[in-house]
Amino acid sequence: MRHLAAIIVLLLTLAVGPVRAAHTEAKLLLSAAATVPGDVVLAGVQLKMEPGWHTYWKNPGDSGQATEIKWQLPPGVTAGEVQWPLPEKLPPADVTTYGYEDEVVLIVPLKLAANLPAGALNLVAKVSWLECKESCVPGSATVQATLLVGTETKASANAALFESWKAKLPQDINHFSLQAWWETAKGDQRPLNLGSPASGTDKNFKYDAVEFFPNTNDDYEVSANTEVLSAFSAELHLRKNVKKLSGDWPKEISGVLVVEQNKTRSGYEIKLPISDKAPAGGSVSAQPQPVQAGGTPAPLPQSLGRMLLFAFIGGIILNIMPCVLPVIALKILGFVSEAKSEPRRVRKLGLIYALGVLLSFLALAAGVIGVKAAGHHAGWGMQFGSPIFVVCLTTLVMLVALNLFGLFEVTLGGRALDTAGELAAKHGAAGAFFNGVLATILATPCTAPFLGAALGFAFAQNASVIVLIFLTVGLGLASPYILLSWNPAWLKFLPKPGAWMEKFKIAMGFPMLATVMWLFNVAASSYGRNVLWLGIFLVVVAFAAWIFGEFFQRGRQRKGVALAFVLILLASGYAFTLEKGLDWRAPIIETNAAGALKASGAGIDWQPWSPEAVAAARAAGRPVLVDFTASWCVTCNAIVKPALENNSVLAKLKVLNAVALLADYTRTPPAITEEIAKYGVAGVPLVLVYPKNPDLPPLVLPQPSPLQLPSGYSRTVLDALNRASQP
Amino acid sequence: MKTTFVLFAALALATSAWAVDIGKPAPDFSATDINGKTIKLADYKGKIVVLESYNSDCPFCHNHYASGAMQELQRDLAAKNVVWLLVDSVSTRNFSYRTPEQARKEVADLKIAATAWIDDHPGELGHLYGMKTTPHAFVIAADGTLVYEGAMDDRPQPFGDPRTAKNYVRAAVDELLAGKPVTVSQTKPYGCGVHYAN
Repeated sequence: MRHLAAIIVLLLTLAVGPVRAAHTEAKLLLSAAATVPGDVVLAGVQLKMEPGWHTYWKNPGDSGQATEIKWQLPPGVTAGEVQWPLPEKLPPADVTTYGYEDEVVLIVPLKLAANLPAGALNLVAKVSWLECKESCVPGSATVQATLLVGTETKASANAALFESWKAKLPQDINHFSLQAWWETAKGDQRPLNLGSPASGTDKNFKYDAVEFFPNTNDDYEVSANTEVLSAFSAELHLRKNVKKLSGDWPKEISGVLVVEQNKTRSGYEIKLPISDKAPAGGSVSAQPQPVQAGGTPAPLPQSLGRMLLFAFIGGIILNIMPCVLPVIALKILGFVSEAKSEPRRVRKLGLIYALGVLLSFLALAAGVIGVKAAGHHAGWGMQFGSPIFVVCLTTLVMLVALNLFGLFEVTLGGRALDTAGELAAKHGAAGAFFNGVLATILATPCTAPFLGAALGFAFAQNASVIVLIFLTVGLGLASPYILLSWNPAWLKFLPKPGAWMEKFKIAMGFPMLATVMWLFNVAASSYGRNVLWLGIFLVVVAFAAWIFGEFFQRGRQRKGVALAFVLILLASGYAFTLEKGLDWRAPIIETNAAGALKASGAGIDWQPWSPEAVAAARAAGRPVLVDFTASWCVTCNAIVKPALENNSVLAKLKVLNAVALLADYTRTPPAITEEIAKYGVAGVPLVLVYPKNPDLPPLVLPQPSPLQLPSGYSRTVLDALNRASQP
Repeated sequence: MKTTFVLFAALALATSAWAVDIGKPAPDFSATDINGKTIKLADYKGKIVVLESYNSDCPFCHNHYASGAMQELQRDLAAKNVVWLLVDSVSTRNFSYRTPEQARKEVADLKIAATAWIDDHPGELGHLYGMKTTPHAFVIAADGTLVYEGAMDDRPQPFGDPRTAKNYVRAAVDELLAGKPVTVSQTKPYGCGVHYAN
């Protein structure tokens, strides 16, 4: 009899106490020790795993099995659905799973009927799970707990534990107003985007990591790999690959969005309809946005105001970027000659200059809209990718330089002008307008701080926003002159007009000539050694300009012969050099993407950029430095390139075994335009550093400011590389 | 169009797991079995071939063999002239790795009726086909086309009798032999992750 009692006690102990499978211990916990009928009590299945072992989430991922709870409950008690705390994404990459290490409490609400009789309730559950480390073992246990039902409510000793596990449950709100949309399917695979339109709230910081854990489904699989296109809180955007197993493409996606900041992870339950097209108007798209044809503009994100401010500030800063400096010299000259004119006329010229700038920006905006409507990506300065444009601009800027040297005049009436004062008086209006156009054209290969963000934003928007942002940049560029025109008193420090102006004008021809050299170098990247023919063409044009000025404009007789000679000279020069020698409309396509830039690089072993090269280097666990650059990009070559080609950066790259990739945007290949657009900037320079840990998104380096020294930017690069080397 | 291709290439690279396509020719391979014999897919042209990623320490695989259901299926299909290849991609560092002697003993002990057991401990064949779990099954038609990829059956459990489940491999082979299209050509594989070397 005593033996029997002992056995019963032993059995009870076994049943009530923790049940241990091979490596996981299971327990049933309750949030309350005592409660009243009609209440809801939380039950928690606590699984404690030995170090290195894990159990699985409701979607185990590529392998494994979700833990299962089967209840044996007395009448009047009903169990709700299991609430799963946020799991971890568990390696390896090719068989990724979602699960829990160390400990998890799966929470199940138990609803007590209102008419439940008082007394002790025995709650029993059969829990089965798969536990894995280097191998997998199925485990199961029957766990139980007792709940007193009566007239009073009493929390259990585990109440605090419940609170801490409840905090780990994904929140049931679409906090980020995410939307889901498909890209084009390829066979049974299709990229799925999850993105939120920029909300422009003040919470725009970058998360350390963003993830999406899909719910499980038999008809399709969602890749474990997540491509994070934007980790900014206000405009999250990530991309997963979906593989269809059977049936149609899903119309809805559900799962948990995971964001991490300062080592704290939060989960958000999401369930979204999937649209076939990217949402219009958001900056979240990685695909070209169709321009809305005459329809109503899409709802604008609230950040438009801030982007307009950025556009304006960026426009002002453009004035001191090296690109626009030669034009500034022209403007100063204009102001000097106008200084003594009546204020009304000065204002008028200031406005005409602004008009030239604004109309040019309007033309640029139209170009961008046209390119986008054709289904391509547009980029700031993309016209420099066209060698034909570069040749025309080189010729034009050289003519401006020769004009400043006084070789010929630009007149509307065909009469030569003798004094500087007359010069200003006669072609003031046309000159001011032309200066505005030239300032805009020369500004495009430079991006300025603020400008990159504003343009990157604009390029993803519809037509009206593009026009608005572009005009604002133009206003910013023109604003200093408009202001000066309105307050000519501020120009008092300038000397009086006089003979010195002619000398100043000639002096200003030299910055223009320097611009010609820079453009010539840009042309060289398209034509290779054949660019010599462009040089010869320039000489012919210069000769023709001199004959035109000397014998036609200033000549006294046989002016018709002179003009005919000029025309013949230009025509034959064009035919022999540009057409025959250079074959200028069919530039040499460089096969090596790193091109001339690589040859000139001192130490860094640049490899040509491609998405595959990035993926391969990341798969090998190496940090990646990507320099998006172009030979026409002044900021790239003046600041970024010397900052990267620096001994300390070189040494750091070697120590980290990092891969350096060069994306040459000189001829604006669409793959690079598309890649750049992903990072919300409109053009080069763009420097990315991909961390060693392939799950982390790339670090986007800030664009250098115009007054920054390369050494300062080197430090920015080194900081990023240091961060990237952390696992 | 070109950029879209680049994008997919990048994705394909990033998710190396989905390596094979239904309806496309199954990639050829050359591997060594536990008897040192070279096994090539091309050698079985004209025959239906079943690939099964295998690790009998995995409870899901174990249940298929402990219940005898898998061997039964292997014998049934062998009688229909179907080739069945076990693919063991377990790394030598994992304790589930079997040396050729251990593997030969296991074949005898479990009465495994497969055509061959491929020793794929470098994981090349497993990665080529994107084998994720044990078991993970592939059915290749007599003309070399991949017609099925996924789970063994619709019962992702490490216990109980697999004979009560709908076996996708048996169904695919029967449909092929009857000259019918394969109804279920892709499912989500279940089981333990393959213990690859990398």
